[in-house]
Amino acid sequence: MKRWRTKREHQIYSSKLFQALCRSRRTSSSTSAKELHQTADRVLSITAKGTTRWSRAILAAPLTAGTNMKKHKKAKVTVHTRLRKPVVNREKKKLPVVERKLKALRRLVPGCRKLSCNNLLEETSDYIAALEMQVRAMTAITEFLARGEAQAPTDRLGSIGNM
Amino acid sequence: MSSRRSRSRQSGASRITDDQIIDLVSKLQQLIPELRGRRPDKVSASKVLQETCNYIRSLHREVDGLSDRLSQLLASTDTDSDQAAIIRSLLM
Repeated sequence: MKRWRTKREHQIYSSKLFQALCRSRRTSSSTSAKELHQTADRVLSITAKGTTRWSRAILAAPLTAGTNMKKHKKAKVTVHTRLRKPVVNREKKKLPVVERKLKALRRLVPGCRKLSCNNLLEETSDYIAALEMQVRAMTAITEFLARGEAQAPTDRLGSIGNM
Repeated sequence: MSSRRSRSRQSGASRITDDQIIDLVSKLQQLIPELRGRRPDKVSASKVLQETCNYIRSLHREVDGLSDRLSQLLASTDTDSDQAAIIRSLLM
């Protein structure tokens, strides 16, 4: 988990991502934001080197063309359950809420729907750290390209490596 | 104490105990920037879980926004000629 904070990992990811983006630009004329996000996630998972469940799940998932899969999910039954159940004591009231949120967390981290609590903690913390690095790296690339538009890129690029 | 432990509901394949939840929640709290400074007993479990979900969602949204911007930038700039220079500097 700590590796996501290292400069080395940041450099590896940002350069790999940039290469992947250039490659995809050569093959197809335009890259939608969604495809780009997918590419960014896949490169992130590759950088993880298959050590975590979420990264393996991302790589195993088929590439979706653009439909939002979330529409197919069934309506949540848990909401009705909560309304129907009378509040008997504090303990019973606590569990449904916490478990519901635990379930929501499981849905957010890829590949963790049936994971136990301890493993979920590891996956979540690694996933969050990786996402934070993803944001930093993509911001750096964006600033590069934006700067590159304005002036000759060879002079000013050294400073970005320090991010 | 033992009665609390046996009162957990079956969730999927694993039985989640109260202690596991408490452990998970206290460790998660350290990861979320918003909750990091607060004392563990002052923040409820559901709040930590909620904040974790919110934080992950906000990170997703941020990456969405960055993807959007990047796709626009890539479409408008010609990166092929500078590619080597950019990669070199990304690795510095």
